[in-house]
Amino acid sequence: MFPAQFDKLQIMSHAVVGFPSLEENEKAITGLADAGVKLIELQVPFSDPVADGHTLVNACYEALKHGGSVRAMLDLATKVCARHPEVTFVLMSYLNPLYRFGLEDLFEQAVAAGIKGMIVPDWPVEEIEPWLPKLDALGLAPILMVTPNTAPQRVEKIARAARGMVYVVSRMGVTGHETQWGEKFQNYIAEIRKHTDLPLAVGFGVRTSDDLAALNGKAEVAAFCSQYIEWQRDDGSEVAAAKMKSIVQTIAAA
Amino acid sequence: MIRSDNGYFGEFGGRFVPEILLPALTELEDLFFSLRDDPAFWQEYVTLCQEFSGRPTPLTPLRRLSGQLGGAQIWLKREDLNHSGAHKINNVLGQGLLVQRMDKKRVIAETGAGQHGLATAIMAARLGLEATIYMGAEDIERQYSNVFWMRQLGSNVVAVETGAKTLKEALDEALRDWAASVETTHYVLGTACGPAPFPELVSYFQGIISDEIKEQSMRQMGRLPDEIVACVGGGSNAMGAFGAFLDDHEVALVGIEAGGISFEDGKHSVRLSHNTGETGIAQGYKTLFLQNADGQLGDTHSIAAGLDYVGVSPILAYLSQQGRVIPESATDDEVTEAFSLLMKTEGIIPALESAHGLAGGFKRAMQMRPDQNVVINLSGRGDKDIFNIARAFPQREWTGFLQREAARSTELLAQKRGH
Repeated sequence: MFPAQFDKLQIMSHAVVGFPSLEENEKAITGLADAGVKLIELQVPFSDPVADGHTLVNACYEALKHGGSVRAMLDLATKVCARHPEVTFVLMSYLNPLYRFGLEDLFEQAVAAGIKGMIVPDWPVEEIEPWLPKLDALGLAPILMVTPNTAPQRVEKIARAARGMVYVVSRMGVTGHETQWGEKFQNYIAEIRKHTDLPLAVGFGVRTSDDLAALNGKAEVAAFCSQYIEWQRDDGSEVAAAKMKSIVQTIAAA
Repeated sequence: MIRSDNGYFGEFGGRFVPEILLPALTELEDLFFSLRDDPAFWQEYVTLCQEFSGRPTPLTPLRRLSGQLGGAQIWLKREDLNHSGAHKINNVLGQGLLVQRMDKKRVIAETGAGQHGLATAIMAARLGLEATIYMGAEDIERQYSNVFWMRQLGSNVVAVETGAKTLKEALDEALRDWAASVETTHYVLGTACGPAPFPELVSYFQGIISDEIKEQSMRQMGRLPDEIVACVGGGSNAMGAFGAFLDDHEVALVGIEAGGISFEDGKHSVRLSHNTGETGIAQGYKTLFLQNADGQLGDTHSIAAGLDYVGVSPILAYLSQQGRVIPESATDDEVTEAFSLLMKTEGIIPALESAHGLAGGFKRAMQMRPDQNVVINLSGRGDKDIFNIARAFPQREWTGFLQREAARSTELLAQKRGH
């Protein structure tokens, strides 16, 4: 389940399907679930991930060499959704792999696998709107992105089409760099809250426990992704899971 | 020139970008729509092209070569005679006028062969803008002379090391830069691809080529040509050469893609002509992409860095689906042959990209009658290809020169360090 509005901050973490390998994905996800992570994105790797910074670009490149695909994501989802019922799994992908798979088939099979939502950064709200009746009937939540330069009217339009959560891109740029959480950011969050009762998931630049402390009480979800993938890349999935555990405990205690 | 239906040309086109880029694209579109029907704006653009780039470029008859091939009369539209040596400057000068109106101080661009990067570096120097050019590391090796000039002109050239390190990756990286800098930076997209309004906007500015061909044909041939042939990478020179003729159905429009080594995956850049490309959505737009069954964009090959691209203009995808544009391809070998033939028979050094148009155009001309006329768009000059050509026609003399020159430049550097 997605959190309710104003629930205590929780962490959403990440798996790139096929990085470092398909077998390792399962272990890594068990590690995240044991660490207490309740929301996990399953990213379908793509050859041209334009919204991602170098950490995820390189992870995608590796993942493609190790069999990452929409099909592999569905297979992985089927296993991990059954194994970790307390975790909500969200599909993350660029549009083309899904489009090639067939959108309608993909939606149905994702739901059958146990996926609850999807994040597709290069799929604008105008193109999603015609699919809303189908998505609502299936119970697959399109988690749409709002960015600091999105005009208020457009925030309203996006908020109307979003389900589950609104993904708040914290700053200009791509994933994997630092972000400031000052007054400007708080005004930005307040502006979005005017248009939606959905919980807010803040992503892009959530890298340290200081970032999480700053988000506590301001958002319901913090997407802790690139940093986790860097830990996984540099130290392996077990160490990465241990680090996540301490992060999860810190925010639970806060 | 063709107009989109809300960013679409049939099923192709659109605007599939991360939300962060949307405001800039809408701003650009609003500005473009407010100017494109204004004759004063077009005149401002034409005057700039005349004063700075030497337009109109000539339409040159190839009398000796046409006689030798024994078919139609062949004419070259001389985009190679533009300042910077290629048609790319047309679009860049046009976008420069937009940058001034938007009051942005920084520009970024992707480049394959380096001609668009060079044109952007020239425009940035002239207008006093900061410029960053993204270029695949592989393309940098293939087109080093353009990199040299971009840097001399004051641009920052960034080598893109991801994936196959060619144009596709350079475009991805430019989009990433733009996501962080969009409020102060204009992305000078170099071809008739990418999210709306770029395909339409780039085709609009390049349309000056076909406007001139039309007028020059009437004057020099006394009628419209029977065929117009252009090479197709992203598709900007082809859209430029075809644009004014779309409603003249007696004029055949032929696009020549890079046939590379073979039709095997990764050995060519043919998206339109052999059912090799399939509909996909990436890099901000929907078109025919070379991709695998999982929707991953594929690898490409061409002897010409400027044609080595995985997608194609959504406008050309549409026109070719409609049968208005005839897509064909030329292999690397046919291209070097046509290159050599033009050089030795007519004294013109073509770019390897443009030599694809020559290879396809010569072949078609040979099937036609001497009272017919074929115009081939010579999109760029070949000086930049000196190293590639030297590789295609190896000579001991050239290798010797390179060795001596390398020794001289090493010595100069050492002396400089010594001081």
